[in-house]
Amino acid sequence: MKLGRRRYRRVLVALALLLIVSIFVAVAVGAVWIPPTSTARLFAWKLGLAGRPPVPRSTEVILFQLRLPRILLAGVVGMGLATAGLLFQGLFRNPLADPAIIGVSSGAALGAIVVIVLGGAAAFGGLGVTAAAFAGATATAFGVYRLARVGPTVNVATLLLAGIAVAAMISAVMSSVMAFSGEQIRSIYFWLLGGLGARGWDSLQIVTPIVAIGLLAAVLLAHDLNVLSLGEERAAQLGVDVARTKRRSIAVGALLAGAVVSVSGVIGFVGLMTPHVLRLVVGPDHRKLLPAVAIAGPAFLISADVLARVVISPEELPIGAVTALLGAPFFLYLLRRERGKAESHA
Amino acid sequence: MPEARLILDDITAGYGLRPPAVLGVSLQVSAGEVVGLVGPNGSGKSSLLKVASRALRPRSGSVRLQGFDPYSIGAKDAAHLVAVVPQDVVPAFSFTSLEMVMMGRTPYMNGWGGGDPQGWERTRSAMAAVEVQHLADRPVDELSGGERQRVVLAQALAQDAPVLLLDEPTTHLDIRHVVELLSLVRGLAESEGKAVLAVMHDLTLAAALCDRMVVLHRGQVLADGRPEDVLTSSLLKTVYGVEAEIERSRATGKPALVLGLATAAPMPLGKRAHVIGGAGRGSVLMRRLAELGYEVTAGVLHGSDTDEEVASRMNLLRVSVPPFSGIDDAAARECAALLAAADVVFICDAPIGPANIRNLELAIQAGRGGTRLIAIEESPIDERDFTGGRASELWNELRTNATVVSSYEEALLGAG
Repeated sequence: MKLGRRRYRRVLVALALLLIVSIFVAVAVGAVWIPPTSTARLFAWKLGLAGRPPVPRSTEVILFQLRLPRILLAGVVGMGLATAGLLFQGLFRNPLADPAIIGVSSGAALGAIVVIVLGGAAAFGGLGVTAAAFAGATATAFGVYRLARVGPTVNVATLLLAGIAVAAMISAVMSSVMAFSGEQIRSIYFWLLGGLGARGWDSLQIVTPIVAIGLLAAVLLAHDLNVLSLGEERAAQLGVDVARTKRRSIAVGALLAGAVVSVSGVIGFVGLMTPHVLRLVVGPDHRKLLPAVAIAGPAFLISADVLARVVISPEELPIGAVTALLGAPFFLYLLRRERGKAESHA
Repeated sequence: MPEARLILDDITAGYGLRPPAVLGVSLQVSAGEVVGLVGPNGSGKSSLLKVASRALRPRSGSVRLQGFDPYSIGAKDAAHLVAVVPQDVVPAFSFTSLEMVMMGRTPYMNGWGGGDPQGWERTRSAMAAVEVQHLADRPVDELSGGERQRVVLAQALAQDAPVLLLDEPTTHLDIRHVVELLSLVRGLAESEGKAVLAVMHDLTLAAALCDRMVVLHRGQVLADGRPEDVLTSSLLKTVYGVEAEIERSRATGKPALVLGLATAAPMPLGKRAHVIGGAGRGSVLMRRLAELGYEVTAGVLHGSDTDEEVASRMNLLRVSVPPFSGIDDAAARECAALLAAADVVFICDAPIGPANIRNLELAIQAGRGGTRLIAIEESPIDERDFTGGRASELWNELRTNATVVSSYEEALLGAG
């Protein structure tokens, strides 16, 4: 057990290093190369430790107005998506659950679009889109859970089918809403393609506290989700209030997914891959997984964003395309493995 | 004598709109006592265990664990009082055995899974008691069925609850582990004063393990007593429909089963017939229907009526009320459920008075619900109407929805 703990700590340290490296790389590379020395000196200047370094004004703008908020946003979004994925996988007792795959992200997007079209984006002190995304995500999560559950278990096939059906329905509604949107269509498209660019510090201010709250709430659900993986009936026998745990997991997962989607649009597979890979490394205990996922999610999305920026530089790939290119083959591999398991059990 | 740790009092329970799986069952388990719950498939054993473990709220009757009603306290508090060993648990993610057993400490933990200073100690001793320490770091989904069963038992023991419910705990075990597990359970009852209620399939094992055996048949308690008194050839024939001899072990005096093969009684057709009798008018019909292979239900019957005595002797699933009393709402509801589940309902030509007139209303309702009714008129209604005309009215209404026959022979033919 001692050994296990030391190993776990090593994994966390390795992930943290990975995150730091990814941040450094992300700061440096892009359409313009900013050498780490310039970055360090600019930071020292901003903190009042040194005079203004001899770097061009444009470098300063790129660093502080474009790259830094974008990197931090990628980090927070990655953290939110990975944590939401972990919660949904625990809740559905299924490693294939992910906010995008089960349609929760689409639900959030629909909520956001409806609010934009109705002109309510400024409601709740500018949180109108976020609130609507949360509402859409919650409704979809409850709906898919209801549909996917057959008796005591959530079957892979029904989960995926329910997710597909719900996502298809939502996208149909979305198209219809957009057809009536008139002048807003540009702002919707801009938002839908979204990604992390050109969002600035504003959206970071909205999403960071929500993700922090969601993460803390997830901590309190971690043990109950462990027990829930034994099945609802067994969890109840062991003293877990099953209905309450399910409600809270859905609410927290939807809060995270909704907040994140409202600032970045739909980005898939982060919530699928991050928890799954880490489960192979640190085991299935949600209490150990949660910190690991909260570090690895940002590292993954920041790295993916670097790829998105450099692959066809100076043009950019949408970040969702990069995560999908990395994630889809992984998803298919998981699906095959699940099927193999099912056959060997039969 | 101190109050029993587990008290089930007059429990009626079931699922959804289906007829009750458990009908008026009462039983108690005291500290240090091991009680075996036996009966054929579908006799209501598992449902009764669910009622006791806070998983199935009874429709009527009361449950007490150490004096507490588990349905009026939270899941966590209830888990302090009762632990369950289910047939099998396969986690969705591959937890190790150690992690599995620690989950037994959930009722003592806070949200993060901490706050349980004795957790380690209790987990270790539970694993030692079941001898699964060597499996501690193995993922549970890679264990054999027997190993996993023992890990689940350790999980339940780590829960430290005074009442232990076992649901066919030996299903996946080989004979050595069966003996070990059962002696362990016996030992826990004796040393820690646990009250144990175990659903068992193997009657010989149950007789060897238990202080008392409770036999369930069609949702009702058929026998409750020491194994040597309960386990008899005639009981086996009635309950399971098998011919078997009972022998006594020379060493322990406990009864054991010796099966004669190929003597199983014919299987019923799986069709259900309900008889509304009274004044002994239904007795012959109930016997004949049972001989024809029907699963026969009866009611509402009145205590000390011949029909009630026959139904009781035949062990039919039935609804009864005390002699000469009216049919109360609870009995009416139970009977309506039986009527709804029946493929065919026979209404005998019993005398109708204020005490049983509600039976006619129940039959009329069932007929409206689409249940097939056969009304028997060997004697006409006006000769047996003791309600001043109301019974005749109802009978005539009943006739419009029923096949009317003039004799019991014809009724049986009509049943098809």
